[in-house]
Amino acid sequence: MGKEMKSALAFFYDRNKKRIIVTVLIVSMFIIGEFFVSNFLSLTQLLITLKLASYIAIFALCQMIVIAAGDGGLDLSVGYAATVTAVFTASIMDGQNANLWKAILIAIAIGFIIGLSNGLLTSYLKLPALVITLGMASILQGVIDAYTAGRNITGKPSPVLEILAAKSSGGFPNIVFVLIILALISIFFLNKTKLGYRLFSTGANKTAAHLSGINVKIVKLAAFITSSIIASLMGLLLLGNMGTAFKDMGSNYVFPSIIAVAVGGVSLNGGEGDYFGVILGAIFLQTLSNLLVALGWGDAGKWLGYGLVLYILLITYIGNRRKR
Amino acid sequence: MKDTNKNVYQQNKKFFLDTITSNSDFSRLIIFFVMFVTVAILQRNFFRYQSIVRMINGFTPLVLLAMGQAVVMLSGSFDLSIGTALSLLTCVLTSVMKEGVPVTGFYALVIAFVVAMVIGIINGIAVGYLRVPPIIATFATLYIWFGIALFLRPTPGGESVDWFKIFYNVRYLKNLPNIVRQIGLILPPALILLIIGILFWWFISKTKIARYIYAVGGNEESAYESGINTAKVQLQAFMINSVYIFLAALFFVGQNQSGDARMGNPLMLKSIAAAIIGGIALTGGRGNIYYAIVGALIFNFISKIIFFANIPNAYQTLFAGVIIIVTIAASQIYMLYSSKTIKESKIG
Amino acid sequence: MEDIVLEAKNIKKHFGGVVALDDGNLICRRGKITGLLGANGSGKSTMAKIIAGVYKPDAGEIRYMNRKIEFKNPDEARTNGIGLVYQNLSLVSDLTVWQNVCLGREKKKKIFLNDEYAKSVSKEIIEKIKPNFDINRKVFELSPGEMQIVEVAKAVYTDPKLLILDEPTAALEQTEVQNLFNFIHDIVKKGVAIVFTSHRIWEVMEICDDVVIFRNGKNVYYSDFERDEKDPEKIIFYISGEKKENNDFIKRKEKEKPKETVLSVKSLNYIGILRDINFELKKGEILGIGGLAGQGQHELMLALAGNYKDIECDIELAGEKINLNHPVIAIRNGIVLVPGDRQTEGLFMNHSVFNNLVIPKLSLKNQPLFIPEKRYRKEFHNIIDVLSIKVPNLDVPASNLSGGNQQKVVVGKWLSLDIKVLLLDDAAKGIDVGAKKDLYHYIVEQVRKGKMNVIMYASDNKELIEYCDRVLIMYEGKIIAELKDEDINENTIVSTSMRFNN
Repeated sequence: MGKEMKSALAFFYDRNKKRIIVTVLIVSMFIIGEFFVSNFLSLTQLLITLKLASYIAIFALCQMIVIAAGDGGLDLSVGYAATVTAVFTASIMDGQNANLWKAILIAIAIGFIIGLSNGLLTSYLKLPALVITLGMASILQGVIDAYTAGRNITGKPSPVLEILAAKSSGGFPNIVFVLIILALISIFFLNKTKLGYRLFSTGANKTAAHLSGINVKIVKLAAFITSSIIASLMGLLLLGNMGTAFKDMGSNYVFPSIIAVAVGGVSLNGGEGDYFGVILGAIFLQTLSNLLVALGWGDAGKWLGYGLVLYILLITYIGNRRKR
Repeated sequence: MKDTNKNVYQQNKKFFLDTITSNSDFSRLIIFFVMFVTVAILQRNFFRYQSIVRMINGFTPLVLLAMGQAVVMLSGSFDLSIGTALSLLTCVLTSVMKEGVPVTGFYALVIAFVVAMVIGIINGIAVGYLRVPPIIATFATLYIWFGIALFLRPTPGGESVDWFKIFYNVRYLKNLPNIVRQIGLILPPALILLIIGILFWWFISKTKIARYIYAVGGNEESAYESGINTAKVQLQAFMINSVYIFLAALFFVGQNQSGDARMGNPLMLKSIAAAIIGGIALTGGRGNIYYAIVGALIFNFISKIIFFANIPNAYQTLFAGVIIIVTIAASQIYMLYSSKTIKESKIG
Repeated sequence: MEDIVLEAKNIKKHFGGVVALDDGNLICRRGKITGLLGANGSGKSTMAKIIAGVYKPDAGEIRYMNRKIEFKNPDEARTNGIGLVYQNLSLVSDLTVWQNVCLGREKKKKIFLNDEYAKSVSKEIIEKIKPNFDINRKVFELSPGEMQIVEVAKAVYTDPKLLILDEPTAALEQTEVQNLFNFIHDIVKKGVAIVFTSHRIWEVMEICDDVVIFRNGKNVYYSDFERDEKDPEKIIFYISGEKKENNDFIKRKEKEKPKETVLSVKSLNYIGILRDINFELKKGEILGIGGLAGQGQHELMLALAGNYKDIECDIELAGEKINLNHPVIAIRNGIVLVPGDRQTEGLFMNHSVFNNLVIPKLSLKNQPLFIPEKRYRKEFHNIIDVLSIKVPNLDVPASNLSGGNQQKVVVGKWLSLDIKVLLLDDAAKGIDVGAKKDLYHYIVEQVRKGKMNVIMYASDNKELIEYCDRVLIMYEGKIIAELKDEDINENTIVSTSMRFNN
């Protein structure tokens, strides 16, 4: 009996190595935090962490999809797409549920346009996704600046959004439920449908995918569009969480969304995806951020920590290397 | 495949003749000239000494960063951390200097230079030796520099010694020998920094380093086959870039006497756009640093023209972003259609 | 003997499971030009690359200037006086001609580069091969022939004692070839030893002092042209391993009624790489494509698979015209490609066998959104049995499999489709004998049953001989010959490929 157990455990460890390491690190950070701040290791703290991590995790899903399509794809415009949507739909909803559906439609439209632009410029003009989406981010920031200059952003989110984003049921933050449902849907879609298969194949080997009949350009375009639409819809949730829209709502989510993917063990070269691991990565980042704040490192420490974590990960994760 | 290749070669030759006669470098100069004239017309008192100095002060940082970025791009990489590296250096300078203690200015110079070199080394090692894709490596270091800068200067501030203003304007200094004053009145210090930058590259362009940067950026495989230490070359490119960031930091602190962890952020994308407008190829190995300067100037002039078009302040960031995307896209389309390789059997 | 520059003895080299050299021997003497001849895969290129330092031999000894050597890379060999002329592999297109010639070996004047020296020496060298050549042009402006000349200049720049030219004339025009030969005669007078590999027998006979012929990784013949007579038939005999008359040909099927045409290709042209290709594929036929390596066979396979968007051609499948400008169109019409380079073109190495097998299905019309995993798994288990793919289960990553089994997966993924034309792009290259047998056995069986038709390119002539009903020989992008029946033998294939017409 012992031998079978051992080999089963070994098999489990092998397959889930990265996730186990991340979980261990998360638990360690909670314990370390407890030394500095009482009640760091507590249920309330855990729930707060989960709530904040959920936001990162959903943006990380956008990233994971674009990254999976391969060719060094990244989407730096996700946070800005969310902000733009929040700013534009706030007044439409104006605190009522009646126009929620309008807001959703607008969000999808905005996301579609942004994703289409990103996708066309990267796929068809062969420009690096990083530069393009960064440029898009600055254009979106410009749009936000232009729109909000000398104008107060009025409008509040519809109560439904508030409930989903900010409130809890029985102590458990609702956004976590949203995340879980989204996770189940995406894991299912990515692993069990032909869309997911096409996506991962394109990222894994563009040439083989093309020769097998996959339209590589369309797959990449679709990845960007999907990412931007999800990001735009997130804008609605962010609005629901904050109660009002403001200029920098989404920008802080961009970088963490990328690191969450990397921490989750997904190769930045594309061809694979593990949303469960990415969610763990998001939790890791939020915990790290909380810990740095508890240690008194504040803002500086957060960015430094993020940068160092990513740098170390990139160096050690061999799957990301350039081939000689 | 003798004759067939001759046909293909003829086709491509014709195309090259077209592009050479339309000579891209030459057309850049023309664009620059047109912009120059436009701005000169739009701006009153353009030819007054004061405006010229103000203009030079305005474009110096971008020109310096564009040159540094161009060197890195020539070697086949990108430096996304260039903006926050600049911020970090300004924070370092203003953290070391103590007002009223002139000698701390020298310490600051030395320490900041060392930090600049370390920045270059960290990026260079990741890209060259550890073979992390440059876009991602410098993306990570972008936040490392940002974090350290925030740590040194959570809010803009810091101290600067009096004589440091020499990097911005000689007028402010009272105890200068007369001759230095005279020179300083004619040549703005910013211009001197630019000249140092240009001389620096002129010097390097005559050495093996520059040749190898072009080789590695042009075709890393071939460079490697020819015995070139490609990792070392990429490291050197990043370190050269650091010199330019250092010069730009001197200018900023001279101008503002304070360090700011966020000031460099908008310059990163602008430096890439400026280099691209200046003809530096995104894929590396092709382009001319001196034209990167022209690119930065063109970029600045575009911004000025927009300013004169009286676009409300609110829309300026939007326009800046659109211009960046449009110029990058345009230059890429141009590059794609004057393709340099004879069409090989390719897949996809 | 002091005039032996390099001596290679009993060299063995293998790549993966394939033996490239079994017992290679070579002697290079001062001032002598030694030719290496052999068919595809005979080992002659491997031999040239080993002495140039590109590969390390698995066994055997190399003595250079009377010292035992083992160079880590070609650059080290170059420093020691062994120059290799690549086929356009080592130039940087954005640099000028003279910058490329001195690349990696620049001379310095104090700290700065000595460009005058580089320019004058480059000009001197190149003038001899191609007079009035502007060395300030950038390499990307040059024709392939001119690039080859730059490669030669680059190798000569470091004053090598031994110069290895690996198929240098492939890209050159007639006048350029003559100039190159004159140049080679020149440097040979200075005592340089030369190794010259080529497929062109007449060139080798013209310029070489002696010749070494490889076959199956071994030396099979040596001829000193100063001593012996130049006998081309003998040379072909040794390259191919067969005399012209000795025809152990495999009896083809008896002549039956002319079969219907499955695929008709007319006037297929692709910008200079494929020229005016015309042929027909009949039902129940295995059509072979042969010839020297790199004559357009790979490109032809890709073209038929729909890979080239702007291809000009007139293609009919079972009488209906089709436009093959995207792989999806080819696949939906039942024309499927098995690539030779499975790692980059055929497989998703990190993905499971199941994933690899399922992808082509997604290109068919009316595929369900949700993959019917159970049904597909059953189908795939079938395919695994049929092809004898050794794999513990469908979920192991493709990278775990042996080369032969990997290639079986590449073939297997098409089997669940309705294949009309199976294109094999040197599909059996580099896999073990057992897997090769399994694959071909299955394919031939399917063809004989009338279930599919095959066009196969193979670099190994034996495969063409054993399995094909007809063989088309390609040269420089054109089909130059069609071999049938008893003409499908080693000797004829080799001599036709080398355009050696009697």
